[in-house]
Amino acid sequence: MRQEVKTPRSQAAAVAFGVLDPIPYGFFVGALLFDAIYANSGEILWIKAAAWLIAIGLLFAVLPRLINLVQVWFPARGRRAAAEMAGFWLNLLAIAAAITNAFVHSRDAYGAMPEGLWLSGLTIVLLVLAKVLPALPQATARDRA
Amino acid sequence: MNRNSGTTLIAVACVVALTACGEHAQLDPRTQMGKDPELPKPQNFLVPPMQVPTGVGWQGDAHPAVADGLSIEKIAGGLIHPRQLLALPNGDVLVVESNGPGTEAVTTPKQLIAGMVKGRSGKAAKGGNRITLLRKQAETGKWEPHVLLEHLHSPFGIQWIDRALYVADTDRIMKYRFEPGQLQIADPGTELADLPSTVNHHWTKSMVASRDGTKLYVGVGSNSNIAENGLEVEYRRAAVLEVDVATGASRVFASGLRNPTGLQWEPQTGTLWAIVNERDEIGADLVPDYLTSVKEGGFYGWPYSYYGQHVDPRVKEQRPDLVAKAIKPDYAIASHVAPLGLLFYTGSSLPGSYRGGAFIGEHGSWDRSPLSGYKVSFVRFVNGRPTGPVESVVTGFYSKDESSLYGAPVGLAQGADGALLIADDVGNAVWSVNASK
Repeated sequence: MRQEVKTPRSQAAAVAFGVLDPIPYGFFVGALLFDAIYANSGEILWIKAAAWLIAIGLLFAVLPRLINLVQVWFPARGRRAAAEMAGFWLNLLAIAAAITNAFVHSRDAYGAMPEGLWLSGLTIVLLVLAKVLPALPQATARDRA
Repeated sequence: MNRNSGTTLIAVACVVALTACGEHAQLDPRTQMGKDPELPKPQNFLVPPMQVPTGVGWQGDAHPAVADGLSIEKIAGGLIHPRQLLALPNGDVLVVESNGPGTEAVTTPKQLIAGMVKGRSGKAAKGGNRITLLRKQAETGKWEPHVLLEHLHSPFGIQWIDRALYVADTDRIMKYRFEPGQLQIADPGTELADLPSTVNHHWTKSMVASRDGTKLYVGVGSNSNIAENGLEVEYRRAAVLEVDVATGASRVFASGLRNPTGLQWEPQTGTLWAIVNERDEIGADLVPDYLTSVKEGGFYGWPYSYYGQHVDPRVKEQRPDLVAKAIKPDYAIASHVAPLGLLFYTGSSLPGSYRGGAFIGEHGSWDRSPLSGYKVSFVRFVNGRPTGPVESVVTGFYSKDESSLYGAPVGLAQGADGALLIADDVGNAVWSVNASK
């Protein structure tokens, strides 16, 4: 990892980020599961629950995304890591997919399918990539260099 | 800016553009009137077409405009959301002041937001839950209001049969002893029959008595736009129920009618006709609301299909067996006009061309841009069948720029003197239309 000068402010932001960032991820995983159940069963409970998960997940995503924006674009010191940059853009795309998905989920009943299921899947793929890419050996190696 | 961020900006712009494109209507409403309406391909939206004018009421002496040969007069104002009218043989007019019970739970994020947008028009204002009697003073010619009955539960349909007034609250039909001439009802009333009242997405219970007074026909709307609350809450809904006046026993008379808000007898053939509000959110030009004869045991498509065999893919599971037997309605009256009042005119004081035809109170659209409905229209009948286009009779309910709403017509009645009476639940008034002198 690159060496950072830890100011009290940036440390607080990092803690807040660590607490908040997993919340939308969990909500979106839940939405994907519920969409898959609805697509197969037609039981209304699941699509309504998925619509709430996406909407609330988006609300919870606002703060951690803003913190991440400041961390990536206005680093306290030193160069930005390429992996951090990729993570930022992948997360942004995931949010765009989730926003579109919130609108798709406002359709009545099976009108939300199959697009709703695809978008829930796409959101998760993007979020998983954003978590996996920085952890890959070459990314870590490049960061150390 | 690097290549990556450019791509992202494009992606974000696409999302914004998609959400902003609440599609405008493409078809002239006249192509969606009559026996064979033009039906475009259904569309899926991110945001359905929406346009809701702001309810402001009638300022000063302002009033709706009427067709040639007619005049209009306000006979009552200051009412609390008047919805339905019943003219009594002695000349008195009963006004049902009501609105939805507001019991539908918010179960989706969309309901939270849509409720706020639609409420702007004033259509969601609280109802009086009472019936006001209007009596014309012989000396002054003015109509005097008297509160006839209070503390009702979202009443809508109202009928008078042989010394009793039947009121269709949202959850039951109540029977009150009542003779025309009374100014107040002291009878606490008895329950004749219960009506479907879970959720109450569509809460109005329209009602008409058979000619011999032995049966009541009740229009019960669906509990959803297109089954998005689950099919289990649609039991005995989107249907016309037949209730026995002597016993209160009831059965489903016809089904698949999404929201049958007005029931009347066609005077020449004596058959039952209904106005029906069709489904939303698959296009500004879909699906046209309609006027149809109601056949005993008939299935009219909702939710599985519309206009016969046009399948709605939003329902899971699909029912091809029911789609196959869906009856195509008789007469389309254009998309999203929201018909809430029906009256076959049998009087002789309006110009003769109106005799035997159907007046329709069109409450007006939210799911269409430009606006449609917000008028009282007329459909001519020849030999018991509707014919020709829908004619506009009473208009001018919204401002030219479509931003302000002065009034919205709902229930209609034929006064003892032959006038066309109109309940207006945004202007909180009752209008009387006569032949111009």
